[in-house]
Amino acid sequence: MTGPAALAGLRVLDLTGHRAQLCARLLADMGADVIKVEPPAGDDARRIGPFLDDLPHLDRSLFFWFYNLNKRSLTLDLNHSRGADILLQLARSADVVIESYAPGTLDRLGLGWDTLHRENPALVLCSIAPFGQTGPYRDFIADDTVLTALGGMLYINGFPNHAPVRPLGLQAYHSSAYYGAIAVMLALLARDTTSEGQWIDLSMQEATAAAVEHVAGAFFERNEAEPRRGTLHWSRFFRVGKCRDGYIMHCTLGDWTSLIEWVKSDGKAADLDSPDYQQVMYRYLMAEHLFDVLDDWVKDYPRDELLERAQLLRQPYATVRPPEALFDDDQLAERGYFVEVEHPELGRKFRYPGAPYLFNGTPWRVSRRPPLIGEHTGEILRDELSIAPQALAALFAEGVI
Amino acid sequence: MPAMPLDGVRVLDFTWVVAGPVATRILADHGAEVVKVERKEPPQLGNRKLGLQCDLNRGKLSVALNMQHPRGVELARRLAAKSDVVIDNFSARVMRSWGMDYESLAAVKPDIICISMSGLGHTGPRSSYVSYGPTLQALTGFTMLMAEPDGTPAGYGYSYADTCGGYTGALAALIAIWNRRRTGRGQFVDLSQFEAVASVIGPALLDISVNGRTQSAPGYNSQEGPAAPHGIYKCRPLDGDDDRWVAIAVRTGPEWRRFVTAIGSPSWASDPKFRTLYLRMRNSAELDANVSRWTAQHSAEDAMAILQRAGIAAGVVENGIDLCARDPQLKERGFWPAVSTARGVTTNVTGIPFKLSGGSGKVRSIAPEVGENFDYVLGELLGLGRAERDELVAAGAVWP
Repeated sequence: MTGPAALAGLRVLDLTGHRAQLCARLLADMGADVIKVEPPAGDDARRIGPFLDDLPHLDRSLFFWFYNLNKRSLTLDLNHSRGADILLQLARSADVVIESYAPGTLDRLGLGWDTLHRENPALVLCSIAPFGQTGPYRDFIADDTVLTALGGMLYINGFPNHAPVRPLGLQAYHSSAYYGAIAVMLALLARDTTSEGQWIDLSMQEATAAAVEHVAGAFFERNEAEPRRGTLHWSRFFRVGKCRDGYIMHCTLGDWTSLIEWVKSDGKAADLDSPDYQQVMYRYLMAEHLFDVLDDWVKDYPRDELLERAQLLRQPYATVRPPEALFDDDQLAERGYFVEVEHPELGRKFRYPGAPYLFNGTPWRVSRRPPLIGEHTGEILRDELSIAPQALAALFAEGVI
Repeated sequence: MPAMPLDGVRVLDFTWVVAGPVATRILADHGAEVVKVERKEPPQLGNRKLGLQCDLNRGKLSVALNMQHPRGVELARRLAAKSDVVIDNFSARVMRSWGMDYESLAAVKPDIICISMSGLGHTGPRSSYVSYGPTLQALTGFTMLMAEPDGTPAGYGYSYADTCGGYTGALAALIAIWNRRRTGRGQFVDLSQFEAVASVIGPALLDISVNGRTQSAPGYNSQEGPAAPHGIYKCRPLDGDDDRWVAIAVRTGPEWRRFVTAIGSPSWASDPKFRTLYLRMRNSAELDANVSRWTAQHSAEDAMAILQRAGIAAGVVENGIDLCARDPQLKERGFWPAVSTARGVTTNVTGIPFKLSGGSGKVRSIAPEVGENFDYVLGELLGLGRAERDELVAAGAVWP
């Protein structure tokens, strides 16, 4: 490790449930001290699988592990007045609070923006809610599937005349978390000049809609509802094709001449050797027909042979791979993408997906494995708030911590 | 007007296609001066004044430099020396060939921040491969795991690799700027869009590495803990449109009981085979058929309203018209701001999904034409007089 991390010195209180945990993790990975504040019964993410060896347990959720790497855990009952009071004390010395409660909940707990801002004017509060803090849907509830529906992402996935297909990988939550981290950094940068914190009102529905902005583009440019196109990308330059032994992604943005010479030499070019296709715009217009011809060309190829030859010609083709393939990927291996994280209480090490970016001065880093439930409660309250041993024991006995 | 968080930050932007422009657009919306360096005739990706290309490039400035010409490159290097952040999405060799890699620029401007958003990263055996969002998505497993029930890949109509790469790029810039304000040091960020998008299927990757489990397409099974009913259900047609659906997610016992009451307590719902969450999941095909019979009698909007009133997560599967013209929530929150075009006509663009109490980001202007800000960039930023500018144009180093 070389020197302090990028966000060294930043203190973040992470009050989010399972929908927004990635947000604080993005900051923790770059060196912010993130305290995950969980209810004494454990964060809801701890009950979401998959679980280590398929044995459900609050400390064995891989879902929780992924989103909470590099954080510390403090259990605290915010419904108890003493618990809310402790949170307020922690907020006095924190830079950021991130929360994803239903709108109005923090106010009810006596921890709303006005209170937090009065107690610590420099604090940034980031509220991540399904529909934001205002508007007619403010109190609607949603999971990721419902958010992809109301954010316009779900409708466009799948084949025309078939039911829409569900996008993979909690994209509504992840888009929101990225925007949340971006918003927090913007508010912190603004604080450099104003010395004031701000309240961030983030709508997950809007973050989802922003992730598929070609849908809005089609509407405002052409007054059209973007249709489902199967695997045809909206740009019309990409479509999945089927080889003898698996799927590949076609791309018609590479050097057209060398691609078509190859297809011709296999006797499969049909009309694609017409000079019209040299123009990108013609390929755009003819996409469906063009890909049908290319599909007929690749159907008898073994997939890997096709890919090898495509890459030699610098054609941006790709294999449609299962995620397992990432663990054998030489490019990721060479860049050290997967990182070993030791879980000493289990006596085991596990490979985690690693950095989305490599900073040469202040690297992304793993500083601690995901916390066990309440693992740091005692030390945080003792060290940060100087709560005496007897008082800690009383809080524990009362179920506040 | 309240100060913007990135007032005074200048970004020199070599990016194109989607991911890079998404990153620099986020910076532009929050006060950064983003100067796009472009070719005079970039590949036609659509109308800059409307729709997606307007969205991606709004609020930016544009200068058309000929990077094949040594004096064009020289102008770009002088602009970099006056910038805080330089962003590209090329493979490693391109910026190096222009003497604009991090080491070269840091020699001229020690606190420069360089962010390269390449497809596969700057190092490794395949760092020079040509890639795009959809191909990267195919390589990570995203494409294969979004399939029809028989395993046929069924999407995407878009590229999450691009949007996710864009967010990661913007976040990297903000973190590097924050750090520089405290340490005085710039740095180089090597962002692989491949790795950025792989990072968001984390729980699935851990399931592979920890439990050794082969992943299969989840379909409508919940990806956040068990739920049933969970999925989309066909609704009554709207104005002859038969493609209407509502998404429904029911998890806990209390939610199930509220759901049953909300749909009028039909007799099938009291069948013991739907009594517990586990049983509802095991008998989900039959459950879904029953739920579909209810939704078929309602418009998607009514089904959502009835269920949300009962505290059940439900939402219309919104198409582009629902999203941009009908959704009352997005309208109320002003998510589709209007901007004026050159001819005084207004168009709408995608808004910013968060508001800041001290002054939200703003969509300042529609996208510039290629080279539109020639006078500002060469005259004001580089201090070149009219004669010098004319001479550079005549030499073919820059397009007016």
